[in-house]
Amino acid sequence: MNLSRRTLLKTAALITAQLALAPACVTVLAEGLDRLVHRKERVLWLQGMSCTGCSISLLNAEGPIPLEIVTEIISLVYHPNLSALQGDKTGALIDQVTASGDFYFVLEGAVPVGMPEACRVADKPLTELLPPILRKAKAVIAAGTCASYGGIPAAVGNPTGSVGLRTFMDQQNIPVKGRFLACPGCPCHPLSLVGALAYLIGKGYPAVDAELLTPDMFFKESVHDTCPRFHFWEKRVFAAKFGDEGCLFKLGCLGPLSRTNCPKRQWNGGANWCIRAGAPCVACTSPEFARRREFPFYRVGERYHEVRYTEGERKGASL
Amino acid sequence: MFVARMKTISLNPVSRIEGHLAVHTETEPVTVNGLTSHRVTSARCEGEMFRGLEKILEGRDPLDAQVIMQRVCGVCPIAHGMGSVKAQEMAYGIVPTPNGRLLQNLIAGANFLHSHILHFYQLAALDFVDVKALLKYQGANPTLIRLKSWVEEGLARKDAFPAAPFLPRYEVKYLEDQDANMALLAHYVEALEIRKTADEMGAIFGAKLPHATALIPGGCTQTPTIDHIIAYSSRLKRVAAFIREVYWPDVLRVGKAFGPYFDIGQGCGNYLAFGVFETDASGGKWIRPGVLMQGKWEPLDQSAIAEDASSSKFAQKGALHPSLGETDAQPGKTGAYSWIKSPRYRGQVMEVGPLARWMVNYHDPAQAWVKQEVDGVLGALNLPLTKLASVMGRHVIRALEARSLAAGMEDWIAQVEIDGAPNQPFDIPKSASGYGLTEAPRGALGHWLAIENHRIQRYQCIVPTTWNCSPRDGSNQPGPVEQSLVGLMVEDPTQPIEVGRVVRSFDPCIACAVH
Repeated sequence: MNLSRRTLLKTAALITAQLALAPACVTVLAEGLDRLVHRKERVLWLQGMSCTGCSISLLNAEGPIPLEIVTEIISLVYHPNLSALQGDKTGALIDQVTASGDFYFVLEGAVPVGMPEACRVADKPLTELLPPILRKAKAVIAAGTCASYGGIPAAVGNPTGSVGLRTFMDQQNIPVKGRFLACPGCPCHPLSLVGALAYLIGKGYPAVDAELLTPDMFFKESVHDTCPRFHFWEKRVFAAKFGDEGCLFKLGCLGPLSRTNCPKRQWNGGANWCIRAGAPCVACTSPEFARRREFPFYRVGERYHEVRYTEGERKGASL
Repeated sequence: MFVARMKTISLNPVSRIEGHLAVHTETEPVTVNGLTSHRVTSARCEGEMFRGLEKILEGRDPLDAQVIMQRVCGVCPIAHGMGSVKAQEMAYGIVPTPNGRLLQNLIAGANFLHSHILHFYQLAALDFVDVKALLKYQGANPTLIRLKSWVEEGLARKDAFPAAPFLPRYEVKYLEDQDANMALLAHYVEALEIRKTADEMGAIFGAKLPHATALIPGGCTQTPTIDHIIAYSSRLKRVAAFIREVYWPDVLRVGKAFGPYFDIGQGCGNYLAFGVFETDASGGKWIRPGVLMQGKWEPLDQSAIAEDASSSKFAQKGALHPSLGETDAQPGKTGAYSWIKSPRYRGQVMEVGPLARWMVNYHDPAQAWVKQEVDGVLGALNLPLTKLASVMGRHVIRALEARSLAAGMEDWIAQVEIDGAPNQPFDIPKSASGYGLTEAPRGALGHWLAIENHRIQRYQCIVPTTWNCSPRDGSNQPGPVEQSLVGLMVEDPTQPIEVGRVVRSFDPCIACAVH
């Protein structure tokens, strides 16, 4: 139940009058009523072919912190790692939430369309459980690269034929326009996920990349373009071995292919992040993350075997 | 003639673990003093998710391995990173620099601390703590006041899902001591921030958590400056203080209130440890490898490990040593009931985890300090050693390990050479093999690697929960968790909280178990 501001004030005024309270009480009552009647938006969170990394990443959220998220921003009706609920009533709760149509849905992990038995939740293959949820949700968020694009479970040579959630929705003819957001990252950065969710709930569907449906506010610029080591790239000063100063491109850095704002907000409350730690970017937000055997993360192997990619592929189209 | 009517009691899905697990128990009714309970006579653990990371690695550049294998698990990625880099270090014929070794341990140690704290509070606590006790709270703790009003508002609004995700829950008997309930709930909230701090520690040398890109064979990419060392130390102090002053007393509080759980969930009585946290360049470890077979200590012989797939959804003949292991998924296989395989040691069922590590090391003549720590705890609790083989024993030892590890880590950070070389360079040979034996928070972890033509030819891992949640092997021996449930009394078949308490004491991780 969501009362309008006008109704809240009217109700507060009525109560004040009837109880012969001081006029100042109207405001106090209105705030209180607002708190009482304003139900937080429901979020149903499920995991598919996942490692739980995106959920741990969510628990690393800085502002708001997890406690605030769960008590002040959303109503986390079910989460596999946090819910007290267990056992056979889980399926019933998922059905109840789905039937209401009054919820946001988050999936962490890929969908094994090539081998439905590779992922079962509450006695059903995930591929069977998902479609009604996806149709009824107010909006759907793919948390992490596995849910966004398939990720590691979808790498070449995988035995399960896994795909990302958007691909699954397209296959099932479930509409994505204006109601599906991809928040890639391996794991998804907590600020990206919480930010996307808060924006959706508070303002509406954000500006997105037309092809990938990632929110521009987090996934527009490449790591390369905002990298603190960009000046080394320009001066052609390259790190030759792990731990060296310099641009990490010749070690394998895929910053040009990774569109996300890691250089700006870094990781784990600013404790560090990949390139600052001397670790080449592995493009974990890319649709092609970990996809091809012939496209390793690092270029160390170029010494040893036939290279089946061009340097241009590692730079991406923009360079 | 009396015929007991068997009843299947299932817990599906098991929440507050990692991953997809269904547990089914066969039970017989037992009537005592007019009250009927259900005693478990057999159990099945069904791992319900499979990705095939071992297959995905085939044909790839060896240096892809620690990046991809960390994604076996987002809760314990560093353990897999370590298993992978150790296997590669053996294959490449290198050892980390002294700094590299220390930094790897400090990243891994931080991941242990986050995991154990997460397990007790976020995963296990709701089986014991009474969230509804908040409604009776009269004190001044701002966190508890906030939580109380949050629960009250949800109930007053007649929300369909008040106080989610802490409700709905099984309506059974929880902790009754009001003070203990309130302390545990306040600490649940504090634990959320402390485990985040532990992940920050891991990121200071590992780049980010989950999934630390700075972890490489030979050490890590992050040169330790004085800033890093100070940042790590100050956080470690905070985390160590929480473990000593909050987590440890809380476990004892729950142990005291749920005393019968020191006699429940005994398990198979065989323990396996690969050891972890290298103390020098010649293989010495803080927790050493070994085997405890029905109370008798033996040194570890990794060639005695074989993975059986009789009840697992894989095509495989017989039991295979992981260096010859295969991952040939067969989802419709007759008689298979789990995606988890059945690793065995000399054909025996083995438990792994903090309890296993500490039981093995307790009996290791070279680890007197472990015996001292454990005897100290047993003395304070007035318990014999045998009682540690239980639900509550596993929680106690996990907390003890966190406490000891945090103290050890305070020594290790002090040994780091400021600005010293963080990694040992390496070449990737054309043909090589190696294995990395280490411990994840949940138990013994092994990665086995074979390289041909500078590429990964074969990659296999056996993960802690693979051992613990393994299904019946070719000799029909149930796995450790399956065994630990036998004899359990379930009071209400529609709310089998007892099953959850037993299973969660093992801290299962199914993404890990199957990989």
